Amino acid sequence: MSTTRNLDRLAGPEQRAGIFDELSKREIRRAILSGVAIPGYQVPFGSREMPVARGWGSGGLQATLALVGEGTRLKVIDQGEDAGVNASNLRRLVVDHVGCVPETDTRAADVIQSRHRIPEQPLAQGQVLVLQVPGPEPLAGIVKEMDEQRRMHAEADYAKMWVRLYEDIVHNGVITASAGYPVLVEGRYVMTPSPIPRWDVPKLHDSEGLTILAAGREKRIFAVPPHTRVEPLTFEDRPFEVEFTPGAACRMCGTARGYIVEEPGEGGAPPSWVCSDADFRQRCHAGELGPVLNTPAAGSTPAAPAPKETSAR
Amino acid sequence: MTPPEGSREGSGGQERQPAAEAAARLAGRPRHGGSGRRLELDQIMERLPLAVDRAMGEAGLWAPALAARALRQAQGDPLGAAQLLRAHRTTLPRLAVSTPVTSEDLSVTRRISSAFRNPPGGQLLGRTLDYVGRLLDLLPEDEGRMRAAGDTGTTAAVAHEGNGSHAHVHGADGSHAHVHGADGFHAHVSEPDGSHAHVHEADGSHAHPHEVNETDAPAPVDRSPRNLLAVLRSMDVVAPPTEGADPEPFDVTRAAPRGDAPRSAWLQAMARADTGSLMHTWYGSNWRPSGHEIPGEVRHGMLPVRVTHPSTGRAVTVTRVLVSEVQTFHSLTRAGELGRTLDVGYGLCFGRNDRKAISMAGLDLMLTHHRGSEGPLDEVLFTLDGLDSIGYAQHLKLPHHVEFRSLVERGRAVAAGRAAATARVDHGDLAVPADRADHGDKQ
Repeated sequence: MSTTRNLDRLAGPEQRAGIFDELSKREIRRAILSGVAIPGYQVPFGSREMPVARGWGSGGLQATLALVGEGTRLKVIDQGEDAGVNASNLRRLVVDHVGCVPETDTRAADVIQSRHRIPEQPLAQGQVLVLQVPGPEPLAGIVKEMDEQRRMHAEADYAKMWVRLYEDIVHNGVITASAGYPVLVEGRYVMTPSPIPRWDVPKLHDSEGLTILAAGREKRIFAVPPHTRVEPLTFEDRPFEVEFTPGAACRMCGTARGYIVEEPGEGGAPPSWVCSDADFRQRCHAGELGPVLNTPAAGSTPAAPAPKETSAR
Repeated sequence: MTPPEGSREGSGGQERQPAAEAAARLAGRPRHGGSGRRLELDQIMERLPLAVDRAMGEAGLWAPALAARALRQAQGDPLGAAQLLRAHRTTLPRLAVSTPVTSEDLSVTRRISSAFRNPPGGQLLGRTLDYVGRLLDLLPEDEGRMRAAGDTGTTAAVAHEGNGSHAHVHGADGSHAHVHGADGFHAHVSEPDGSHAHVHEADGSHAHPHEVNETDAPAPVDRSPRNLLAVLRSMDVVAPPTEGADPEPFDVTRAAPRGDAPRSAWLQAMARADTGSLMHTWYGSNWRPSGHEIPGEVRHGMLPVRVTHPSTGRAVTVTRVLVSEVQTFHSLTRAGELGRTLDVGYGLCFGRNDRKAISMAGLDLMLTHHRGSEGPLDEVLFTLDGLDSIGYAQHLKLPHHVEFRSLVERGRAVAAGRAAATARVDHGDLAVPADRADHGDKQ
């Protein structure tokens, strides 16, 4: 069959039927490598359409599919939960098509795809965290024109970002940026760490693991390699503040050692709190936790020195 | 979808998976437990061709049978169908790139010109409901069925029944014998609305298509008329092209376009755009010139797709696709210039979709005119893709409680800071602005 021969020559050997062809995976891997080489820089890539809506993790899914193989232990979480509808859906897609091993224990996972959370358990060497990103551009709220955003990144001209933070303090007394707090990566690029809570931001700094951030709808991939400096933008006299609510503790494990979320009470009951990281909550509940967790004390400054009130060189 | 969150237990969610799966199963069933028959693909392709065309156009994939399947699966939502088609497209390797064709190769099934009463090559109405009164057909179902089964389309109700057969495009193999030649089918037989030249009279009315007199048949219509742009160029009323050639067209599906993208990028973005969004961007634009553009041509027709044979190196026609094409003209003056010549805007998209082609041509006109200045280019490149916008809207249905908690906490921190500051003000220490600034939250 000459047709088959031609097909082979054009498209390579037949692949396992899947949701993503091999040539596309290679393109994603190249984009990831570029991102690793230039920490915090947003690498444009030809984002493909996935069998999930754009905004439901199509970027993360492409990155994950480009990384995993049979036998990869894959953990997928949404808001910290392994069992959420979206996490289950994404995990099923990948496991069904690639045949990797579903995993909920953060310590045992090779690849962790997450939406909006970094696990409480610090990443170990060799682990990869893939974050789904709805809006990758930290300057999007600062200047409207995309060309101007690109110029500012290229020249490390983040003056307007600093002015915005300063005005925030003048108007509100605190920096009101909530999730997706802007960070400076390796002293060069300002990056949005996806809408993770500020609680999770210090975990990016000097991590053992590799973090890949992928925005499918916006067609950009960026990365934080292991042992990279990641500093939240703040002023010397304004320590970076993580989320803190006095007296609040998880009703399941009784601590505030993880990121806790509020649940309104029913029928006039007071609101209660619960850890959002399901794996952590379960181990905490079972009393398995060692005292080595990376949990910043509320209101603390991270280990990283706070950047000066000048833009990076 | 079931609300994914709000369980009261730590193991919460284990019981949610079946719920999500059950929701997916239910979605495939008729609403209210109806007993209607399953829609067959040929019914969808023949009777709902405009929906099929729209799904294909917004997917950027020409595959009528697959599009009909996708429409059925998406419960009739063209954008939902486009999403299915695009995800399917991702699974396919790209084997070849077709060679460029000019629209001179278009074998027209419709060709109207607003610019001339009788353009060279004539007017050809084609299959359209444009000139049919907007009256709901209340013919009893039984009678409608009988007519559909037995008649050849010479009744007054024909416009409602005879607009669907489109087999030459929607055959399973995407082609059909009688469009392969430019002499195609005879207009007054297979076009029940009697399309022919000079129907575009000032009154525009065409209320009695069934009264077309066979003996008074018009001269045969030119199936590959010279496009009007060439005619206008020879009349020297059109501005010469300002954009250079674009021998390697930009491909928005493989590269992320930027604000300095070439014209081929915005044309491709518009050809794949969500029709409604595209139309709004054009219709509601502040950049629209005064007066309006005039379409020199609105055409439908079959365009050959040719690839270079990997062994022989010769161009081979592998299929033909139905496209809508619009060339539109307007006189836009620039500073220090007289509006002596006309600017051209171009629109081309898959299937029959005049609305999209007209909006696209109008926007192209504006984009070319405002090249390099602040125009609607970013909007066109980054906001028109239906999958992007519905994806963003749909993602809001996902849980956001981690982010929400962070947002609420900041609000409380601001309030607490104010309370403390107010207390200090009472002691005469410091003044705090009482107005609430908006949040600097970017997400």
